[in-house]
Amino acid sequence: MSNQDYCRCGGETLAMASFPLQKWCEPYQWNTALANGTVFPCLNMEFYLSEKFPCPVCDNPNASEQEKKLYEISVVSFAINDLTLYLDTHPKCENGLKHFKELMKIRTELLNDYAKKFNPLTQFSMQTGTPDTEIYGWAEGPIPWEGGHV
Amino acid sequence: MWNYEKRLQFPVKITKTCPKTAQLIISQYGGPDGELSASMRYLAQRYSMPVKKVGGLLTDIGTEEINHMEIICAMVYQLTKNLTPEQAKTAGFDAYYIDHTAGLWPQAAAGVPFNACEFQSKGDAMADLFEDLAAEQKARTVYENLLRMIDDSEVRAPLKFLRAREIVHFQRFGEAVEMTKEKLDSKNFYYFNPEFDKEMFKKNL
Repeated sequence: MSNQDYCRCGGETLAMASFPLQKWCEPYQWNTALANGTVFPCLNMEFYLSEKFPCPVCDNPNASEQEKKLYEISVVSFAINDLTLYLDTHPKCENGLKHFKELMKIRTELLNDYAKKFNPLTQFSMQTGTPDTEIYGWAEGPIPWEGGHV
Repeated sequence: MWNYEKRLQFPVKITKTCPKTAQLIISQYGGPDGELSASMRYLAQRYSMPVKKVGGLLTDIGTEEINHMEIICAMVYQLTKNLTPEQAKTAGFDAYYIDHTAGLWPQAAAGVPFNACEFQSKGDAMADLFEDLAAEQKARTVYENLLRMIDDSEVRAPLKFLRAREIVHFQRFGEAVEMTKEKLDSKNFYYFNPEFDKEMFKKNL
């Protein structure tokens, strides 16, 4: 019996941690996901001192059209961010991939629409959203860190 | 290659100037468990990762940490952008103000400058992944400490979001450990370093 075999007599390998792999769990509504910081209810482990916060746009009657549209983009894009990390470790998960593809389609449309109505958020959406533009609009629109259009 | 998108990952709109809060939160910009340190840690470690999918995960989480750094900086900026000289003098922001006025500079809450020694890139997959797991836990602790100290809900909402991300990242790094273990000999995970002893690693596959 080798030294290693002897050390495995309990069945578990010593001196190494084991981590449970996440199984697919039905995601939150995408709007709720952004507020909770994850799309997966099974990974939402709250801190006892953190409360629920109102949605800065949906619960605000004074929110402008631009603010609403930008928030919609943030909601969909965050769901994609979180699904991306899930898919990095679960690349063959059909549910994850299905949601990812649907969200990517919606995100592209939202970015195009935002570029048409307000200003481009990415250089790519300037090309796909406003191909006939006669001004280079990349420098236009609110600066993200100013908080003007959350 | 990175592309910029002109928005924050989580909205930040802080209307009340508070240099004291800014001085605490700035730790998650340039402090030991801050977002700058997090992004540099993962983006440095990824190059030599032996399991390709783990290198991909480090790229994606490292990228998200840059978004988080931008959120923290936006918070510090909005908390101090209308700072009066009187507030700078009295609200515990005086030492920072002398050197940086209301500009952004990566430092810890106690004033220690950002330092690459806050993170490691060890060139050993297990050593690096366990560092990453610990880093997510430490950042979670800092966000909880901040949530205990700060009352303004415009500041608390993004802090709550950022804390939640630490737990998700911890889960993903745990899965990355399992993905790496799969490629090693379960009788002895330490027989060789898969990032350096490449011939041994190839034989093992």
